[in-house]
Amino acid sequence: MENNVHPASFRDPSGFVFWRDGKLFRQVNRLYQKDYDCLMQSGLYSSLVQDGLMVAHEETKEPAELPELAYRVLKPETVGFISYPYEWCFGQLKGAALLTLHIQRLALEHGMTLKDASAYNIQFLGYQPILIDTLSFEEYHEGEPWVAYRQFCQHFLAPLALMAFTDVRLSQLLRVCLDGIPLDLTRRLLPWKTRWNFGLGAHIHVHALAQKHYAGQRVSTTTGGKVSKMALQGLIDNLEVTVKSLFWKPSGTEWADYYQATNYSDRAFEDKKLWVREFISRVHPSMVWDLGANTGIFSRIASGLGAKTIAFDIDPAAVELNYQECVRTKEKNLLPLVLDLTNPSPALGWANTERQALIERGEADMILALALVHHLTISNNVPLQLIAKYFARLGEWLVVEFVPKSDSQVQRLLASRKDIFTEYHQQGFEYAFGQFYETHVAQSIGDSGRVLYLMRRRKY
Amino acid sequence: MKILLSTFTLMMYLDPGSGSFILQILLAALLGGAYAIKVYWKKIKGLFSSSQERKDGTQTEQRHGE
Repeated sequence: MENNVHPASFRDPSGFVFWRDGKLFRQVNRLYQKDYDCLMQSGLYSSLVQDGLMVAHEETKEPAELPELAYRVLKPETVGFISYPYEWCFGQLKGAALLTLHIQRLALEHGMTLKDASAYNIQFLGYQPILIDTLSFEEYHEGEPWVAYRQFCQHFLAPLALMAFTDVRLSQLLRVCLDGIPLDLTRRLLPWKTRWNFGLGAHIHVHALAQKHYAGQRVSTTTGGKVSKMALQGLIDNLEVTVKSLFWKPSGTEWADYYQATNYSDRAFEDKKLWVREFISRVHPSMVWDLGANTGIFSRIASGLGAKTIAFDIDPAAVELNYQECVRTKEKNLLPLVLDLTNPSPALGWANTERQALIERGEADMILALALVHHLTISNNVPLQLIAKYFARLGEWLVVEFVPKSDSQVQRLLASRKDIFTEYHQQGFEYAFGQFYETHVAQSIGDSGRVLYLMRRRKY
Repeated sequence: MKILLSTFTLMMYLDPGSGSFILQILLAALLGGAYAIKVYWKKIKGLFSSSQERKDGTQTEQRHGE
C-alpha cells in the first residue's frame, strides 16, 4: 500500500500525496484536522483559489491510503508538468518568491500562517506560479515568529541574490542544495556591496552570522509574545521589497542574438514556420517538448495550436526572454525552462526519488528538435545514433531539422576545431534516425539547404 | 495547554533554526514600526485619491511585482 505514496511527500505529518489508478489524491491526517477546517472555514481557501494562487481540490469519498491516520481525502487539481526551481529562470524564481510572500500576507489576514516556504511547493500553470501544497497552512497565534523565515531566505532570497549579483548560473546550486542555498555559502559568493543593501544585509549576511552564532542552542519556540502581528507583517513586507529590488538583465550570452546571424533568408524562415505548423496540425499532440527552444518562436506555434508546450533551452537569457514574453501575453500553454540536454535534470533527494529526472516526467506526444542536432553532434560530440535513441525515449513523434555542413551556423561551430564528423551528412542523419523512427515527411526548407522531417517512433 | 503546545511543535515539522528565530525577533521589532507608518500613510493617501485597487484588476500584475 505504501508504494502508492509520493516519494517526496514524507516530511510533513499533516498529510501526504498518493496515487491510485492513475489519479492523484491527498490524504489529510487527523493530526491536521483543526488547521484544515480553519483553512476551509476562514475564507482563506476560497480567497486563494478565486485569485488563482493555489490549486483547488474536491473532498472525496475515496478510501484513505493510511486509514488509521486519515481525516479526509482530497482530490487536488493537477498542473500537467512538474518543474523544479533549478530549472526555472530568474523571472520564474522571482515570481514564485513574490507569490509565497503574497500568500503569507493573505494567510495572516485570515488568521493563518505558512508553516513552510519551500520553492518545491510552487509550480507553474502557464506563466503563473501557483501553490500546490494545500496543507502548508496552520493557525496563526499572535506572538509567534514565522517558522518558515529561514527556509524562505534559503530557497528564494539567496538564489535570487546570487543570480542578480554574482552569476545567473548559480541557480544550479539548487540542484545540489535541495533545501535552498546555505546562507553562509551565499554570503561568501555575494559581492561586498550587498552588505550595504538593507534587505540583503539583514536577511542574508546578518542572518548567516546569527545562524552560526546560535547554532545548536536551544531556543524556546513555544512561548508567544515575541513577534507582534504588525512586526511580522513588517518583516514580510521588507522581504517583499527586497525581492522586488532584485533584477537580472538577459543579454550578452551567445544565444540571445542567435537569430540575427543565421543563414536563413526571411523566406526560408517563414517556410520553416509554415511546415512546423503543418506537422503539428497533422499530429495534433497534447503535450509538446521543444528542445533547444531558444526564445520560443517555434514553441509558440505549438502552444498557439492548443498543445501544452514546454520550451527547454540551455541558455538562461533565452529562457528569461521567453518567460518575459509569456508574462506579457499571459501565456497559458507555454512553460519555458532551463535545461542542458547533455546533462539533463537527474533524480534527486532521499533515495534519489524525491525529485524526478527529466525523463521520468515525460513522455511528450511530440518533440521539436529544430536547429539542435548539429549543436549536439558537433559541439558536444554526441553521435547521431545516440541522439536519435534519446529523443525516441522522450516522445512518440519528432519534428527534427537537419542542418548541412555548408550552413553558416555549422561552419561557425567547425571554425575552431578539426572536422572529425565524417558521418554528419543527410544520408548519415537519415540512417541514424531511421533506426528508431519511420520518416513520414522529409521537407526541404526553401533555399537554405536544411531539411525538416516529421518522424514517428518505431514500435518494437 | 500541554496538548496545544505539543501539537504546535508537531505541526511545525520544519526546523526554523535558532539563529533565524532570534534574528527574526530583532528584525521584526525594527521593521514593525516602519511598516505601521507605511500602512498609515497609504490609508491617508487613499482618502485623497480615488481607490483604484480592485482585487481582480490588479491581481495578476501585483502577483509578479515586476
